[in-house]
Amino acid sequence: MINTIKIALISLKANKMRSFLTVLGIVIGITSVIIVFAAGEGLRGLVLAQVESWGSDFIQVEAKVPAASQASTENAIGQGSITTLKYDDAKQIAKQPNIKDIYSAVLGQAVVTTAQDSEVTQLWGTTDGFVRIDSGKVAEGRFFTQEEDNGLARVAVLGSEAKTKFFGDSDALGKNIKIGRHNFKVIGIMETKGAVLYMNMDAMIYLPLQSLQKLIMGINHLAFIVAKQKNPADADATAADIKALMAQLHNITDPDKEDFAVTTMVDAVENINQILGGVTLLLIAIAAVSLLVGGVGIMNIMLVSVTERTNEIGLRKAIGASPAKILAQFLWEAIFLTFLGGIIGIILGIGFSYLVSVAASSQGFDWAFSIKPMSLVLAVGVSVLIGLIFGYFPAKKAAKMDPIEALRYE
Amino acid sequence: MELIKVVDLKKEYVNDEVVTPVLDGLSFEIKQGEFVAIMGPSGSGKSTLMHILGFLDRPSAGVYTFKGEPTVDFDDNRLALIRNKNVGFVFQSFFLMSKTTVLNNVMLPLVYNNEPDKEAKAKQAVAAVGLTHRLNHFSSQLSGGEKQRVAIARALVNNPDVIFADEPTGNLDSKSGQQIMEILERLNHEGKTIILVTHEQDTANHAARIIKVKDGLIVDDFKVTARRSAQDGELVK
Ligand SMILES: Nc1ncnc2c1ncn2[C@@H]1O[C@H](COP(=O)(O)OP(=O)(O)O)[C@@H](O)[C@H]1O
Ligand SMILES: [Mg+2]
Repeated sequence: MINTIKIALISLKANKMRSFLTVLGIVIGITSVIIVFAAGEGLRGLVLAQVESWGSDFIQVEAKVPAASQASTENAIGQGSITTLKYDDAKQIAKQPNIKDIYSAVLGQAVVTTAQDSEVTQLWGTTDGFVRIDSGKVAEGRFFTQEEDNGLARVAVLGSEAKTKFFGDSDALGKNIKIGRHNFKVIGIMETKGAVLYMNMDAMIYLPLQSLQKLIMGINHLAFIVAKQKNPADADATAADIKALMAQLHNITDPDKEDFAVTTMVDAVENINQILGGVTLLLIAIAAVSLLVGGVGIMNIMLVSVTERTNEIGLRKAIGASPAKILAQFLWEAIFLTFLGGIIGIILGIGFSYLVSVAASSQGFDWAFSIKPMSLVLAVGVSVLIGLIFGYFPAKKAAKMDPIEALRYE
Repeated sequence: MELIKVVDLKKEYVNDEVVTPVLDGLSFEIKQGEFVAIMGPSGSGKSTLMHILGFLDRPSAGVYTFKGEPTVDFDDNRLALIRNKNVGFVFQSFFLMSKTTVLNNVMLPLVYNNEPDKEAKAKQAVAAVGLTHRLNHFSSQLSGGEKQRVAIARALVNNPDVIFADEPTGNLDSKSGQQIMEILERLNHEGKTIILVTHEQDTANHAARIIKVKDGLIVDDFKVTARRSAQDGELVK
């Protein structure tokens, strides 16, 4: 067997260029397999870390387009136009026995002006519960109170980037900042939070919910409510109670007309896993197709190679190579090619995955670079298997050749 | 005992129900140490006969006995083994691996068996054809005559019972051809059985015995009086 492997290697070395071109398909296939696995891991880690940072004891109530699924595009587009979720809903939910704390939120934007800068800025209108429930912490000064919210106080808390943008290195606490047509007083600055999935909380300005609703946006609805439970083990029952309460408050009997969605964190993690699983499956399907194409490429080029080397095969038979040895030689050649392709693919895949993680991290995402040993084993196994499967037919063809006809072939 | 004995050997090719008779019942014996030329016009079936004698092909009818053993029941693996151990081939068009060194070309038959000292044996065979100085050259860098000498070394390397040479000078100029024939003669004088296939009288004259084939039959079988083969006795070492 060692001899047969040596023969295969010598033959491959003698045809370096063709050998390289042959493996290109496999290289691409394996590279994408590695990237898919690494990116899948990175994305999952990122999303789950995000969810975990929210904590597992939350229930979220948000506005929803009736009859649309919560995760649907229809809902994503129409959600903002649903104006039926109110502050009163939050007050009623807060009275539920398993609810420990709560905050409400609405997003807006306005031109924000200081001596230093003037720019359209995202505004996060929320209640005092936010700073107790969310992972965001106040670095300097304080967050606003329930009384300030109720009194439409003109106070603002700055995200760390917003602080730098509008005040630079100078002190911001106690200074005035113009939001829309109103002057607000800066009472606090948040700690840097880092990028969240789709919102940069650090660039935001936090305002009391009702101040944002009434003074700036002229609305009286919410985007969502986040409630923290006393006992997360009762999440399902609590969610059901809240759903019933919301239906009653909104006078809804037909579930298809519900203009809200109630989500526990368990649901959220499940949703995310489901979506990621789907994405991974899709990417694996793509990788499988490219490997299949690579395999057919191997078979095609091995067939060309067998035909081109008909004389060589004839000679090898003439000097005593048995059909089994010829079969083994060409199988080994195919396996070496795909193995080589697999190794190159793994190296490229790791390289690309690393670049992706560096790029994601530089954008502030908490993206771990992780290559599972399992994916390497799988990649090597798959590439060898492809060599074996797609190399068999050409190798068999070579093994079956009649020595005289093979020697006569021109 | 005869090395090779054939009785009423026949070969016909059947392609799409068209039957082409090539060998029409040949009988002869070849002893160990002989230098035999199989001669005849082009298309007379010389190569076909050599392929059968060299276990590359099977007869359609007749009995072929090699070293006293009937070969009719040999399967493909047995034929491969016998080609590896007992016979060596030299072809008109060399069939060397071009991007491979002289040494590796000559070693090729050895990689299909498990015998030791492959490199030493190959070097010895290369030395026997006077090409030691070319050992690590690629075969594509050699002249035609040198290529054929490498092919002879490759045929020799397993120390076979017989070397078959099919028109070994056919692709060479007369000087290189002469050199090749001298090497074959020397190998025969050292004891090797040589069976040469040629359509040229001059080439055939290097042999000690000529079997003339025409239209699938032996038309003549005689000793070349001026030549002695190892089989004649005095020259065997
Ligand atoms: N595979 C084959 N099928 C049909 N005819 C063949 C085949 N091989 C050889 N022949 C025919 O057999 C005859 C003898 O061929 P060959 O032994 O090569 O002759 P030589 O070597 O004496 O020139 C030729 O007429 C050739 O065309
Ligand atoms: Mg011929």
